[in-house]
Amino acid sequence: MDLTPVLLSRIQFAFTTMFHILWPVLIIGIGIYLLAMEAVWVRTKNRGYYHQARFWQKLFFLALAMGVISGIPLEFQFGTNWSEFSRAGGDIFGHMLGFEAAMAFMLEATFIGIMAYGWNRVTPGMHLFSTAVVAFGATLSAFWIMVANSWMQVPRGGEFVDGSFMMTDTFQAVFNPDIFWSFTHMWFACLQISLFVIGGVSAWHILKNKNTSFFLRSFKIAAIAAIIVTPAQIYLGDGSGQVVAEEQPQKLAAIEAHWETNPPGEGAGWNILAWPDPSEEKNRFALEVPYGLSLIMTHSLTGQVQGLKEFDPDNRPPVAVTFYSFRIMFAIGGALFLLMLWTVWVWRRGGLLRDTASEQRWLMRAWMAAIPLSYIAMEAGWITREVGRQPWIIYEVLRTGEGASPLPAGPIWWSLISFALLYLVLLAVFFWLVRRILRTGPETDQEEAP
Amino acid sequence: MQSLYLHLPQIWLALIAFFLLYYVATDGSDLGIGIISLFSSREAERGAMMESIGSVWHGHQTWLVLLGGMLFGAFPVFYAVLLSSLYIPMICMLIGLALRGVSFEFRARSKSKGIWSRAFGMGSLITAGSQGLALGGLLGGLDIRNGVFAGDIWAWLTPFSVLVAFGVIVGYTMLGANYLIMKTEGEIQDRAYRFSGVAAGITLLLAATAHTWVTLKYPFTLEKWAMPGFSTGIALLLAAALLAFVFYFRSLLRRKELAPFIFNVAVILFSFSALSLSFYPNMIPNLSPESISVGEAAASSNTLAFMLVAMAVLLPIILTYTVFVYRTFRGKVTNETAEY
Repeated sequence: MDLTPVLLSRIQFAFTTMFHILWPVLIIGIGIYLLAMEAVWVRTKNRGYYHQARFWQKLFFLALAMGVISGIPLEFQFGTNWSEFSRAGGDIFGHMLGFEAAMAFMLEATFIGIMAYGWNRVTPGMHLFSTAVVAFGATLSAFWIMVANSWMQVPRGGEFVDGSFMMTDTFQAVFNPDIFWSFTHMWFACLQISLFVIGGVSAWHILKNKNTSFFLRSFKIAAIAAIIVTPAQIYLGDGSGQVVAEEQPQKLAAIEAHWETNPPGEGAGWNILAWPDPSEEKNRFALEVPYGLSLIMTHSLTGQVQGLKEFDPDNRPPVAVTFYSFRIMFAIGGALFLLMLWTVWVWRRGGLLRDTASEQRWLMRAWMAAIPLSYIAMEAGWITREVGRQPWIIYEVLRTGEGASPLPAGPIWWSLISFALLYLVLLAVFFWLVRRILRTGPETDQEEAP
Repeated sequence: MQSLYLHLPQIWLALIAFFLLYYVATDGSDLGIGIISLFSSREAERGAMMESIGSVWHGHQTWLVLLGGMLFGAFPVFYAVLLSSLYIPMICMLIGLALRGVSFEFRARSKSKGIWSRAFGMGSLITAGSQGLALGGLLGGLDIRNGVFAGDIWAWLTPFSVLVAFGVIVGYTMLGANYLIMKTEGEIQDRAYRFSGVAAGITLLLAATAHTWVTLKYPFTLEKWAMPGFSTGIALLLAAALLAFVFYFRSLLRRKELAPFIFNVAVILFSFSALSLSFYPNMIPNLSPESISVGEAAASSNTLAFMLVAMAVLLPIILTYTVFVYRTFRGKVTNETAEY
């Protein structure tokens, strides 16, 4: 493959975004956890919750630092590497980023000062308010960035005049058919991953018998929340899929490696595994569940699902990547659901008591494994969404190649390598410092009753 | 109402200018403190400098994010052309910001504090230098044809842009020193007074050189002097800038604590306005007659109107809570370590 400037810009954008998204999920999810802990502490004066807030806040601030510094390059990359897209979509896209900054980031960044330095400067109530504002700001920023991304998927609310979008109806552009499902799906992913991070880190401590009371408390809180969030996420994922079927049928066909539209009266099969061959326009091999796809998408055995062949080959997304990234996300989502059932089962049998929890070796290990797994599921989901949008940068309006800046390859090589080196170093330092935080452990008044 | 609608791009230009100035005055100070910290050989002192902005730098940096987003939204063409033609300084700035941005949290958590206070200084220097090179590249003129940058990827690198970059570094140092004068006491404050005086002298020299150079380079800025409204405006603003400089030096000599920073901001405000007025209505100066003007670079009126209404609500809210947080952390920074 020839590494053209466009491809290099795409690699750089994919790399920097996939790195960046590791952190906001924690900022959003752990932020809400901190808010809950602090609120309970302010209400009940139970110091155990105060220590919860203070301990997890350390992780939160490290993630925040990483999230902020990796987030700024994204905003500026639209201009540096995707100038033609910026020109074409700026009328809405830019102003969504502007709103994100004015409503969300500004709120977050200003109150972070109080959250970090204000414990002894302001009243507990004021500090709680600051934590709430930061958590709210984080969620709000997720909303606006999802609006921007969603608009690239289903551009509404205006028309393209001479290749540039002219907005006529902001409401339509923001509340497009995709936004509800994509925002909630992503927001729940943030909760889910954060809960698995809190639960997984706690599980590791429980296994090691270190500060068991403290970490059993955080483990149980995370487990209860995850038991609610995980099935809800599967429902929201299904909703997102329905929007794709409606608005982006060629993406759906690629996700399912579905080439031929099923004739009337016959059902479309759901491919578990497949080896798609775009040049032959078929799967060289497929393991399929008969009628499966019709049933999932149309809720009838013989419902019609459009195949890839209905679309111009130039307008089809890459099939194999979309197909497998979706399956990875789907499989992990299912596995996490099973982990929830297992957790409920163990809990009900009295396996999560102060003295018994550390004996649940495999359950605790599974929770630790859920940290990377839930992250992989989220990244795979984003690959499905974004690679499945190809070859368009603004769906069915502007091709990705036409959205790039007129840059030579040299500087993009240089910036890509710089970002890669910088991020890898920072990631290593992050893990090193997290190790220090975990070694020091939380502050506790004494061994609290669980 | 009708005339308001017609002048939306101009209103937005003023708003963007406000965001830029606010960013320069606040985060410029933070970056300047980073640059000053490079001159300090004692870790405790570098730490104290970082702590003087620990609770506020996040908010300051966000004005750059706001500036980027709003520029993208209100003037998409300008955003697109500017950032892609200044690719290299922009990426350098992002890397500098990243180094500066992680240094606070990493230093607080790390045993080897020296590495991160140095990262804070180097990150600040890289950021300031890249912003200066970008500004110099922009003022030096970009080769734009049919609204697309057609020049070389290194076109921004000229003796002039290096001069401007040096000016921005020294100018931020001056701001940073004045911020330290406000927020610290003792040895750091004494040193800040000296830094402030020297940096101000150099800044004055560089700013005057750059301004003269720009005026001579672009004939249309000279023509402004023949237009009655513009010439009075520019002359008044330049006079105000010089006057602010005089007051500034006087306040330094009298060892005032708040006044140097205030007059410093006034100098920036007046000289920036004078420069903008001589360029208006061009947003991107160009050697060819193809400069991109405010009207051409702007988004559609619907978008500008919608954003303006939103900003009319948001900006007062932002400023209110910003003042609230400043008040929470008012006064001198004592040697309190981060409490988290």
